[in-house]
Order: sequence, then C-alpha cells, then structure tokens
Amino acid sequence: MRRFIVMLGIGLALSATTGAQAYHRFWANCNDDAPTFMTTMTRDAAQDYANAARYEGYQWGGGCWNYDDADSYPNDPPEVTSTHGEGGDCSGLTFKTWRESTDTWRDGRYYWRALRNVHGPYTAASFRAGNGAPNHTVAKSTAGVMDAFASNTHIGMVFMRSLYGGDQIVEAKCEACGTNIFYRTYRSDSSYGGVGRWGWTG
Amino acid sequence: MRRPGIRSLVGGAAGLTAGVIGGVALTSVSAAGPTPVSRAPALIDAAHVPRVLTLPGEPVRLRYAIVCTPRDDGLPCDGSGTVYIRAGRSGPYRALPLSRGDDSKEGRYFVDVPAPLANSADGFSYYAVLRDDHSGASISVPAGGADAPQVSVPLRDARSVSLGRHVFGAVRNPDANVAEASWGSGPQDLGLAGSRGLGFSGPSSFDVEPNGAVDVLDSVNGRVSRWAHGRREVIPLGAPAELADLAVDSDGSFDVLDAAGTLRSYDSQGKPKWAQKVADRTWVKLEHGRSGPVVLQQPSEQWMPAAENGAPLSRAEQARAAHAEKQLANGHEVLLERVGDTGLRLAEVRGGTPLRGWQITSETSLGEVQLAESQGNRIVVVARAYTDDRDEFEVLVLGSGGLAARFAVVSDSWTETAPLARFRLVRNALYRLRTTPAATFVDRFDLEVPQ
Repeated sequence: MRRFIVMLGIGLALSATTGAQAYHRFWANCNDDAPTFMTTMTRDAAQDYANAARYEGYQWGGGCWNYDDADSYPNDPPEVTSTHGEGGDCSGLTFKTWRESTDTWRDGRYYWRALRNVHGPYTAASFRAGNGAPNHTVAKSTAGVMDAFASNTHIGMVFMRSLYGGDQIVEAKCEACGTNIFYRTYRSDSSYGGVGRWGWTG
Repeated sequence: MRRPGIRSLVGGAAGLTAGVIGGVALTSVSAAGPTPVSRAPALIDAAHVPRVLTLPGEPVRLRYAIVCTPRDDGLPCDGSGTVYIRAGRSGPYRALPLSRGDDSKEGRYFVDVPAPLANSADGFSYYAVLRDDHSGASISVPAGGADAPQVSVPLRDARSVSLGRHVFGAVRNPDANVAEASWGSGPQDLGLAGSRGLGFSGPSSFDVEPNGAVDVLDSVNGRVSRWAHGRREVIPLGAPAELADLAVDSDGSFDVLDAAGTLRSYDSQGKPKWAQKVADRTWVKLEHGRSGPVVLQQPSEQWMPAAENGAPLSRAEQARAAHAEKQLANGHEVLLERVGDTGLRLAEVRGGTPLRGWQITSETSLGEVQLAESQGNRIVVVARAYTDDRDEFEVLVLGSGGLAARFAVVSDSWTETAPLARFRLVRNALYRLRTTPAATFVDRFDLEVPQ
C-alpha cells in the first residue's frame, strides 16, 4: 500500500509537469463554429464588437475570448501560441472585428462570435501591406473610425480621432497591457501605415 | 536490501498509473477554466471630439459614436441621445435630440447647434446623455455632465499662422545632451523590452524639475532614473510600468500613471503615498497642475484633477472637477483643437475669457500636439508633421504678433513611449526624449528668451 501511495504521488507529479497539459487552458472553452455570413457591416457595429473585447486579455496567435471583463490567463510568456490563453492578438482582433474570411481571396463579411477560436491568415505586416481581398492601404490622414494603422509588428483600429490630434485606438496590445482602448500616435508615426477594410455599409 | 515482492511491484505500478490518469483528469478539469460567458453584459461607451474653438459664423455640428453590447445579428446598436446646451457657462440648458445618420465614419449621431447658440458672444457649454434603447444603459459625455460640461469658446481676432509645406530633413540639432544611458538592467542603464516580432519599448516618459534635474521613467526595470547635480540616482518603484506616464513635482515627489489607468503617487525617495484609478476609460497625458496631478482623459476629452492638496480624488470627484482648459505655467490656460488634417487652433484664456488666439494651417498633415506650454508671454507648441512615410516635430513659438520662431526636430523614437511624453518645456529650454538601438538620450534645445 505504501508503494502504491508513493507511486500515485509520482504519477500525479509527472502528469502536472507535462508541458502540453500545463498550457491546454482557455482554448478548451472555445469552439470552431462556422461564421455567419452578413450582408451588412457598419463601422459602429465593429466598434461595438471590438469594445466588448476590452479587458479580455491578449494571446499571441489567439482569437477567442468571453465577455467577463477579465483576462482568465494573464501574463503568459510573450510570443508563445501554445499558452492557449484568453484574448486575441492584434491581428486576430482586427480579423474578427473586420469580419473577414480565413480564405484570403474572399471579401465577404463573416461574423465570428467571441468564443470562436480563429486568428485568421494575416499578420500585422500583411495587413500593413494591404494583403487579402478585403483589405487595402489608405492614406493615414484619411483614416476614420475602424480603419487601422499597422506596422511590421502591430496593428490597432481607430476607435475615434481626438482633440489633440492623436487617436483613440482599440487594440490587443501586449500580454501585460491586454486589449483596451488606448490613446496612440500611430497616425503620425512613420513606422505605421494606414489600412482599411473594403465593404463598410454605414 | 530486500527484493520487492510481486504484490508490491503490482501495487507500485497501479499507483503510478492511477497517479498519471488522475493527474491528467485533474489538469483537464482545470484546463476547462471558468465557465464560458458568450453573451456580453449590457455595456455602453461613447466617443466625441468636442468643438472647443469656433470661428464667427461657422456652423457647428456635434457628432457622437454610441457603443453598445454587440448584437447577435451583427447590426449596430439602437442608440439615441440628447445634447444639453446653453450659451456661455451658466444658466439653464436646452435639450436638443440627436439625429441618427446613415454613416458612422465620424460618429453616427449628430446635432447641428442652432446659430444663435453657436455664435454666442460667450461661446457655449454642453454635455450629452447617450442611450442604448435596447438595454436601457446610458452614459454622460463628458462624465461630469451638467457639473462639468464641455465648453466652446469663440476664436475672434486670431492670428493666422501659415506653415506652408514642411521640409523634411531641415532639422535643428540639440544644444546639449543632458542625459544618456545605454540599454540594460544595471544601475546606470535603462531597460529595454520586446523583440523584432513585438516591437520594442523602453523608457516611456520623462520630466525635468525646475532645478534642472532630469527624471526618466525606466519602465522596464520598474524605477525612476534621476540625473541631478552631476550624479545618477535610481529610485525603485517595485514593479515594471510599461507605457506609463510620469510627472515630477518641484520637490522631487512624482506620479506614475500606468497603462491600465491607475495613478500612483510617490515621495521623492520612491515611497508610495497613494494610488487611484482615473475616471475615464482612456488617458492621454499626465501633468502637474497648480494643486496636483491632472490627467487628460477620454471620452470626456477633458483635463481631470486626480488629487487635491495631496489627497486623491474619487473618480466621481475627478469628473465633476474636469475642465477643457489646460493650465499654463504663466497662470493662464490654453484651449487647443486640431481641425481637419492640417489645421490647429489655440486660444490663451483666463477664467474662461479668451485673451488671444492663433489659427494655424499647414500644407503638410499635422498629427498629435505633443506639447503646448507657456514661455513667458509666448506659447510653445510642438506638433508632429507627417506624410505616409515620414515624420518630424515642428516646434512653434507663438506670440501676440503671430509666429515668433519655429524649427523642426527629428522624431528619433526607436522605442514606444507614452503617447504625449516626448517633450517637456522648463523655463527657456525644450527637452526631448529620444531613443536609438544603442541608447536613450534627453536633449535640450535652448529657446530665445522673450523680451
């Protein structure tokens, strides 16, 4: 019996140190439901969608969150997809907010629910280049609500312009700062370019 | 040593197997995490760019974005709202219902201010109550509502300042380099975080004390580095403060506003005094006002005092004490509005009364205004000129006759900082925080002393 108990403890310890198990976490709540095809897509509905993702965290390569206003797994190591935490990353949040398809040649409107775990095919750099049928580059001075500014490492969407000339930006920023609306100066920063989504209906 | 029996070995193997299976099962249960919440609770938010400076006869349209819980059908929310507006800054408000437009690129909901109000000699003041008609949730913008409305002041007899087309590359070199540190975690270093994939962040803000001491917020290492009297001093904060802002008082005590909107106050040796959340969801800039720290916040787009006589103010108190005017070192205030993509309006005011104003136009796009501060009887403005692939800062010195001086400085920001933390003006010198792949610098540009 004593040997059984000792080995039981060793077994429990072994299972707990398995990396794959340690990081198999929030994504267990997510689903792979099909998106809903939409005929409309307004900028303020996109504001609604991105705004609701605030406080839900940041996950490198992620795109799944709930609506409880808390990051269930904060402060994961950066640039590690296998941590499977809550939240989108910058390009994942933009992809879902812009209702894009996982097929880069489709320019239709696909509504992904929050718990649908999808990141989409674009990085910040590919958004910046205007890659994909739904995307295009825009002059930064003309960027309006829910257009975006993208660099080679990050993308954030314009929530609203601001009195002092910067922008309120809704973005999945980093593990430490999560997803929120921040005041940023990306518009005038030469490392950022303007990006838009074709097909807004209002 | 006694050899184990068959029963003992079987028992051990069974224990190991049960342990692994049990561990996996327990981990799987914990991996499932909290119960998924797929429906958003009722929420409401808003955005509005106030019209703080209007020209005589200019039509004024106030636009609002109403932001609600996302709908299952993917449509925008059923919003509505009322703007409460009055001539000047006192008296009863008049209610104007918002109209719902077809487009939301600048805010779907709008109202045109009636001409008698828009052209009132004393300007007008207003606030809005915005509603989600589906959930019943409502929000006031600005947050202080009738107690602290947004104000609009007529810009009469403003000096016209035409900047023409910005010439990139014609920049002024600094007169002195007052602080420098390489990247690292040693006592003489400043911390660097990030990667080529994420981008880099370093010191996120800085300030200069009246005695010339330079304080740099070493955000990554969680400390303040102080250059004073030829010595370096390091003041630990206890935790990193990435993308936070910093304001230092004349006695060396300082405040740090973190990315999540918590303002922490410290004495000059780094001993924490208090912490308080700011009132609005988003902050723009932290400064020290006449009676303590003030924070420019959104969606109110107002400066809100965060403390009074050393004691923190509650979020409701901050909202009620909010004001559109930014306090100046000369005892006056400044109102500032970026107009379109190439325009900038400023008015120096005292007690709400305009003293003088400037209407600035440029042929090159103007980005954010990093700084607007008094230098004697002049106003120094630092704004960013940009195209799609270049940017530099324009330093404008404004006087009663118009533009008294101007020069450009390079942007040189290799790391990300707090948004409006690149420049500080102290007496007759402009200071700039600059980072490169090798180091951080604080540069000084000496300004002409006004007569």
